[in-house]
Amino acid sequence: MNSQALRAESVRKIYRGRGGPDIEALSGVSLHVSRGERISLLGRNGAGKTTFLRIASTLLAPTSGTVEIFGQDAIADPESVRPYLAVVPQEGKPFMHLTPREQAYTYLRARGFTRETAKSRADHALEQMGLTEVADRLSITLSGGQRQRTMVATVIATEAPLLFLDEPTIGMDPFARRGVWESFRELTAKGCTILLTTHYLDEAEALSQRLYIVDRGRLLAEGTADDLKRSVGGTLRVSVVSGDGISQQLSTFGPLVRDGDTVHVITGPHGLREILALAAHADLTATVGPVTLEEAFLRVVGRSINDES
Amino acid sequence: MNLDAPLPTVRRSRWTGLGAFIGTELRVQLHEVLSIATSIIVQAVFLVFVGVLARQYLSYTLVGAVVFSTFQIGQRVQNESAWIRIDHKLHELYHASPMTPEAYFLGMSIGILLAYCLPILVLFTASAYLVPLSVPACLLLVAILGAEFVFTASVGYMISTWFKNMRSIWPYSTLFFNFFGVLPPVFYPLFLFPKALQPLALLLPTSGGAALAENAAGILPLPIGWIVLASVSLVVAASLAFVGAVYWARRISRER
Repeated sequence: MNSQALRAESVRKIYRGRGGPDIEALSGVSLHVSRGERISLLGRNGAGKTTFLRIASTLLAPTSGTVEIFGQDAIADPESVRPYLAVVPQEGKPFMHLTPREQAYTYLRARGFTRETAKSRADHALEQMGLTEVADRLSITLSGGQRQRTMVATVIATEAPLLFLDEPTIGMDPFARRGVWESFRELTAKGCTILLTTHYLDEAEALSQRLYIVDRGRLLAEGTADDLKRSVGGTLRVSVVSGDGISQQLSTFGPLVRDGDTVHVITGPHGLREILALAAHADLTATVGPVTLEEAFLRVVGRSINDES
Repeated sequence: MNLDAPLPTVRRSRWTGLGAFIGTELRVQLHEVLSIATSIIVQAVFLVFVGVLARQYLSYTLVGAVVFSTFQIGQRVQNESAWIRIDHKLHELYHASPMTPEAYFLGMSIGILLAYCLPILVLFTASAYLVPLSVPACLLLVAILGAEFVFTASVGYMISTWFKNMRSIWPYSTLFFNFFGVLPPVFYPLFLFPKALQPLALLLPTSGGAALAENAAGILPLPIGWIVLASVSLVVAASLAFVGAVYWARRISRER
């Protein structure tokens, strides 16, 4: 049995410009996901996450490169691997005139599950997503977050060996997101493999066994959240608002990461007192906290994940 | 967790999920009661107009209304397919699954046909009594309607995949309605169409189908050559459209 759920090599995608220049959405992306892993693609909007996910899930043809799913060529023969996949599309919505229960049930039936299995799995998935109370209301009457949970419930109910989830918790409240994360952990514990895209740093950190940072169609870093945080060069972050004027002095305490007009000094406990004194002397506000994935992202990409420029 | 376990065996055929997706689409469409009820409103208005202005042609309009109502299913397939692809992104959910693209296309089309068949049945029954239609003529009309459905659903599905937003699709409904329904002799008899263009009208699935049905009902005599022309044209159009739609459904299930 192939231990790799997904292996992509040098995947490129160029969208032909219609009246404008061509757009290279992916520039030779290579990654692998082992069976049972939970992997995140973390990046800003337009980084290429969705393009990669759509190619890997057989919904978009790459310009070049190879994709294997469970050892089978997904580019040459997409239909042979589709039975092993399920996808939560970005901004997907359930049928407005179906209830969440009907949506999940009919989708499972369309995938070939028996009535009994479809019913029990749909009920279980809806319960996991906290949708039991609204399971028999038409989707058109649900909130955006409930619709998104319906889509996730529909897909996780399949327990497909490889799940692709494109921004699965977008529009959900914090409670709902945690519930979704828990269900993803349960799925991988059962042997399912999950590749998800997100631009929520907390989601990537809480969920991923490994994550890839994506920007402008390239994979810039790969590792566990702890690996990436360690690579920043310290355990503490001192953030000095409008600290550019003292950045030279700050840099003696550790690497600097800039986010707008805030300068983050990545350091350890040793230099903390001096940095705070330096900021106070310059009449600047400084806060201290542990190094987060935000600093790792800033250091790797050079811009905040929320930077739309 | 056993990561060395073999992947689950998936029982899959070309038509896996077809029945379930027909049921899904039927459930969805049956919520649109007003849309179903008004789906023959234009045909009813034409019947009133012809009844008032030229009563002698009413039976042609009635048969044409049955044919055109079936043809309109294709526009509904076009709009539904585009809607759930562009607005709901549900085609991605179904394409990345054991269900084949052709089962998706056909399931959607048959589901919509079943939802909208009641108004067609009303017109069909009215034709059978008022024209009147013999049993062989009824059977032939059913066959013609089947070919109309295959043609129109196939073309509608293909067109639905060409657009990135819903606004671009709306003009096509108007275009199809007028080009296939209003201008050619569907709601009026073939002999009122310009004589030189009559063979061309037989090539169109709507006016050709209507002419065949009216001929079977005994209200429109046609030379045997024209019957053959209209029949072959309808069968070829339906077959080519269906093969094209299946090919296109498979191709478009992975965008380029």
